[in-house]
Amino acid sequence: MIYDRIELENGLEVLGERNPDAKSMALGYFVRTGARDETPEISGVSHFLEHMVFKGTESRAPERVNLEFDEIGAKYNAFTSDENTVYYGAVLPEHQSRLLGLFGDLMRPSLREEDFNTEKKVILEEIAMYEDRPTFTLMDKTQEWFFGSHPLANSVLGTPQTITDLQRDQMLAYFNRRYAPNNIKLVLAGNYDWESAVEQAREITRDWRPDDTPREIPGVQPQTGVRVERTDKFNRVHLCWIAPGYSEQDERRYAADVASYAIGARRGSRYYWALTEPGIADSAWFDHYSKDGVGMYTAYASCDPAKAQPVADLMRNVLREAQDEGLTEAEVNGARRKLAAGRTLHAESPMGRLMSVGMNWVYRREVMTLDDEIDRTLAVTAEEANAILRALPLEQSALMGMGPLEELQ
Amino acid sequence: MSDSRLHTHTYDNGLTLVAEAIPNARAVAFQFQIPAGAVTDPQDGQGACSLLEILAYRGAGSYTARELSDALDSLGLQRHGAADLEYTTFGGSLLREDLSEALSLFADILLRPHLPDEQADTAKTIAMQRIAALEDNPSQKLFVYLQEAFFTSPHGRSTLGTPEGIGSLTIERLREDHAQRYRPMNSILGVAGSFDWEELVRTVERLFGEWAGEAPPLPQPETEGRKRYLHLPKEDASQMQIGVAYPEIAPDHLDFYNSLMAVQVLSAGMGSRLFTEVREKRGLVYSVFASNRAVKDSGLVLAYAGTTPDRSQDTLDVLLAELKRLPEGVTQEEVDRARTGLLSTLVMQGESTGGRVGALTRDLFLRGRVRTLDEIRGEVERVTPESIQRHLEAHPPKEFTVVTLGPAELEVRE
Repeated sequence: MIYDRIELENGLEVLGERNPDAKSMALGYFVRTGARDETPEISGVSHFLEHMVFKGTESRAPERVNLEFDEIGAKYNAFTSDENTVYYGAVLPEHQSRLLGLFGDLMRPSLREEDFNTEKKVILEEIAMYEDRPTFTLMDKTQEWFFGSHPLANSVLGTPQTITDLQRDQMLAYFNRRYAPNNIKLVLAGNYDWESAVEQAREITRDWRPDDTPREIPGVQPQTGVRVERTDKFNRVHLCWIAPGYSEQDERRYAADVASYAIGARRGSRYYWALTEPGIADSAWFDHYSKDGVGMYTAYASCDPAKAQPVADLMRNVLREAQDEGLTEAEVNGARRKLAAGRTLHAESPMGRLMSVGMNWVYRREVMTLDDEIDRTLAVTAEEANAILRALPLEQSALMGMGPLEELQ
Repeated sequence: MSDSRLHTHTYDNGLTLVAEAIPNARAVAFQFQIPAGAVTDPQDGQGACSLLEILAYRGAGSYTARELSDALDSLGLQRHGAADLEYTTFGGSLLREDLSEALSLFADILLRPHLPDEQADTAKTIAMQRIAALEDNPSQKLFVYLQEAFFTSPHGRSTLGTPEGIGSLTIERLREDHAQRYRPMNSILGVAGSFDWEELVRTVERLFGEWAGEAPPLPQPETEGRKRYLHLPKEDASQMQIGVAYPEIAPDHLDFYNSLMAVQVLSAGMGSRLFTEVREKRGLVYSVFASNRAVKDSGLVLAYAGTTPDRSQDTLDVLLAELKRLPEGVTQEEVDRARTGLLSTLVMQGESTGGRVGALTRDLFLRGRVRTLDEIRGEVERVTPESIQRHLEAHPPKEFTVVTLGPAELEVRE
């Protein structure tokens, strides 16, 4: 593996992990912006803008964009989260320059009014789609409640009202604020040609101007307690629980990841033996998510409505018990090994590596090989995992139940 | 992928080992495919394959359920597998040095599960919950019912089974069923990634050589007299789920690549017809697609769209119009894009051990052999707009089976 990096005159950083043995190359524009960077009246604009980026530029009509990606056989997409908007694609190495040129051009979209109005309908359909998906809906609601006045309470999709009301000029103003070159990383992975990529990136972004792109990173005052969202729309009761964890900048996240995997991996974990294996819940997991300056533990389960209370009790009691008794060496070892194998599999393709390489740089300006990542995971001792688990503040948690149920304690 | 990376070996008992070496891979993926699927479940015991898959991990060989789970975890195995329509799969991915040990655990799981009395009720509870959970997953539910509406043979069954079937199965019947269907003849073990072929052949011989017998044959797929429209009312759904199915030729048919490329033109990249007409031009949906599906000896095309109720009739009309318009012809540019996309997908799939192992076992099951990338490239390069049109004139998309789920019952205008 060869590691490349350069900062262009306009502040755009280009970096990559080069693997000449790979059969494909992947690249992505990582924009450091998302729902947490929005104000309430433009809620959902980051995600809507991500759609609009594919709707053409001064030199490309919208219908040409999709055709050009298809002409080079690109596997491509984009996603918007609370704090990142990432445009990414993979092609066979001979198509690198067309993919880089196409994405580069798209990063300065026209945002034409007519396309804006058509795409608005697609966004409203996407919101409707997720309303029918209980896991997504509940996690979104619980996160909104738990984070309170913190910007991570913001919804990625926005609401039908904010999307309907959103004007093209508001999106343009947001774009101008957030898509400055110093707020974007161009990341490459796999079998790419570095020299030509840099030269082309410099040419494409010559007119991009750096700007102030601040982000607020306040502390969290978690909202705690128990809430019920009663609805007969869903057949099962869905339960989501959130507590404070460790941020992307906190080294303790490795121990929190391992401890969480021992508690709540889909199989072989404490949640598995307590909830899924005996058939008390049809699904149950516990995980740890790191974000910019903030982290959180999340637990989730779904079950028969009649079992909602026992399942909610078990979700918390299993944790409490693990805090008291501690995880065994064997449990921690299994969690470490499964996490390490998962990372290895994820890294098989340039597309998989692209995300790790990009996020390591976006959050920490850190270069890590796959082996570095695996070593850090395998280095977590049972003692460290147990210490991190004991520090988990159960009293600062929020539990929400959704579905056909009246009350929950 | 050249021939030299591809290996197959069929043992005397009928088990076929198929493996593809992926240079530089750190991991290896493996998948057992056992001839116990929903189509061969007992008529009055639908869900048996699902229960057997759940029970397989609950103690086997010299291991208790707990010991077995811990042993798999200590290998770092990322487990995959499920009961499916025509077979059940078991397996996963892990680091290459642990392959033999994992295979030895799976020899216990497949050949020597305890199937204990006391676990039967729990397994049934879990299987019943999976059926109940389907209600909260509208698109998955749609496809279960679309398959049921399309096939008149047991291929219309849900892999989850039925509440009646699951309720009626006893542990004795499940043990008999296991003895009948967990058999090596027509079973497949696929391996992809990093391994030593000679050693692998010996390891599998040692672990599975004594296994013997043959499961009952698969039924023939039938669609004669199938349903044409089924509506599943759900008043409080935000979106309507729309599913369409129509018959196509099987994957081992000479003309298969013409059928495949026609559907690629319809729905491969985002420049394809369905995405362009339904989403990009009209903004009717977030999700719309069509794809070739196959069961042994038969093919079909499935199409899907999800949209809000008051736009759902328009969506169905546009979707069906695009399907019916296919035989009017496709352009050279469309064929070129479809070919590029397909070949690019195949090359990238070759970078993933999990992706390749699925493709290997499925090829062997549907076609009786594994195709090389060169063979697929050759076949795809022979496809022209004219050859696609000849195929579509003989097999036009028509006589659709449509299933909708949501607040609005629709009119199917063919």
